Amino acid sequence: MSKQASNEPAIVMEHVSKNFKVLNRREGLSGSIKDLFSRDYKTLQAVSDVSLTVGRGEIIGYLGPNGAGKSTTIKMITGVLEPSEGKIMVNGVVPYQNRTRNSEQIGVVFGQRSQLWWSLPLIESFNLLRDIYLVEEKEYKDMLELYRSLVDLEPILHKPVRQMSLGQRTLSDILAAFLHNPAIVFLDEPTIGLDVAMKSKIRDLILGLNAQKKTTVILTTHDMGDVDALCKRVVIIDKGKKIYDNDMDHLKTFFGSYRTLRMRLDGEDEWTERVIDENKTDVMKEIEKTQKEHKIKDIQVQEISTEEIIKKIYEG
Amino acid sequence: MNLKRFAALTKAGIQESLQYRLGTAVTLFSNLIYLALVYFLWKAIYASSGKDVVRGMTFEDTMIYLILATALFNFLEQFIVWDMSRSIQSGKIILDLLKPMKYRIYTFWSYSGAHVVQFFLTFTPTFIIVCLLTGGAIHIGVNLLFFVLSTVLALVVNFNIEMLVATLCLYTESTWGINIVKETIVLLLSGVSIPLAFFPETIRGIVSILPFRAVYDIPLTILLQKNGADQLSGLLPMLGMQLCWVVILTIAGNLFFNHAVRKITVNGG
Repeated sequence: MSKQASNEPAIVMEHVSKNFKVLNRREGLSGSIKDLFSRDYKTLQAVSDVSLTVGRGEIIGYLGPNGAGKSTTIKMITGVLEPSEGKIMVNGVVPYQNRTRNSEQIGVVFGQRSQLWWSLPLIESFNLLRDIYLVEEKEYKDMLELYRSLVDLEPILHKPVRQMSLGQRTLSDILAAFLHNPAIVFLDEPTIGLDVAMKSKIRDLILGLNAQKKTTVILTTHDMGDVDALCKRVVIIDKGKKIYDNDMDHLKTFFGSYRTLRMRLDGEDEWTERVIDENKTDVMKEIEKTQKEHKIKDIQVQEISTEEIIKKIYEG
Repeated sequence: MNLKRFAALTKAGIQESLQYRLGTAVTLFSNLIYLALVYFLWKAIYASSGKDVVRGMTFEDTMIYLILATALFNFLEQFIVWDMSRSIQSGKIILDLLKPMKYRIYTFWSYSGAHVVQFFLTFTPTFIIVCLLTGGAIHIGVNLLFFVLSTVLALVVNFNIEMLVATLCLYTESTWGINIVKETIVLLLSGVSIPLAFFPETIRGIVSILPFRAVYDIPLTILLQKNGADQLSGLLPMLGMQLCWVVILTIAGNLFFNHAVRKITVNGG
């Protein structure tokens, strides 16, 4: 792999847009019949004028609400979709012009789907991927050795994928994506549906692989725990436009004047939470106001969580 | 292209197929029922015609042809249309599109292992039983070699037809109707359900130049040494026709798929 060969960025996107043509559907049965002959298309812009540079070995969180254009972007970078406008370079390759070549240098994990062979033991899937990606025997052995040092491989290696728990399967899928030592790995909601312990195991694995192999990781997720644990930088898009691209630390200072005020009122077991912008309202005033009506048993003032920040950004 | 990739996919396909022992047993059993039906149907047809030889075929000829056609059908049958439409709906197709191989080639070799298993588990036993029961009605010689060659070509033609229909479903986003139409056409025009000899002259003329015959009728004709297939002069045009369809359909299928894949929008995710 030419991964270490150059100092160029792993991914460069310049003013990339993607439009889809969609038929305007009409209502009702008669509408459906009319639609058969309709040429009434509208253009949807899924991604509009996005520029992005991702360096080698970076882990970036690519965030946005549902339907923001995240998967469309990923599909363009992986070469499945061709951008309507703009240029993309992935590790020196134009992905949509050379999808096969691009596939050799990327790995993908989609939390909801598995690329493993359903009825075969995991090791068979690994061997198959080794042959499909033409991985040298020595590199393959080294990689399995690395996997063994990061996770407890033995219990799952000879287990058919269909008998695995979701956590084991996700873990296996991540290992499968890194197997050919790709320059870039795309992780699409890798921890979806997993329990807390498994989530942290998966995050440790991703960090470990990134540190050992200097793999660039593009993470899309709705779980801010993933972002906190893995990403130094986040890119947020909404309605196809890039609205934020900076460090995690900057994200916090950006909303630095926000505090989460948690209060437990008398007679209630639950905490009441409120996000307060200190530039507008004083935390003390808020407490006073509450105190006039209720008896407060307990108070906490916290820095705003990533989850709250992202929510604020999504809501504009 | 690297042979290691193909061999690996074939091997995985064999391993996967062998996981489904029960499925194979059920196929064999349902075949027996189907063949019983075929037997009584044609027995009645021959009885009502009042002749021993219809269109140059005796009852025994017809039965041998149809039994082997059924065995061949089970061996060559593919479910690409179903599988592909399912993986489009689930969005899983993106994982296959992102393999470092051309999607069509990847798909072809993914299926190859299942064919190997079916060849040994359904076709070969059926063939041996027919040979034993009919006692010398099937010539055993160099025709077996040509039959294998012809079957490989048939496999590629069949794959291309499946793939073309599957690609068509990329546009329509509905599968069921199109697939039923395809199955009916293939079953009727390839000779699997009715030997082509029984077709009226004009229809037979049209059918003989269509690609469906290249899937079942030609390999069987070569195996049974009918229509001059025992001579090179009869054999070569048949193999030539199959080869022509392999070339035409592969090129057409490639162009069509490459065009279609640019249009697809993979669901969800």
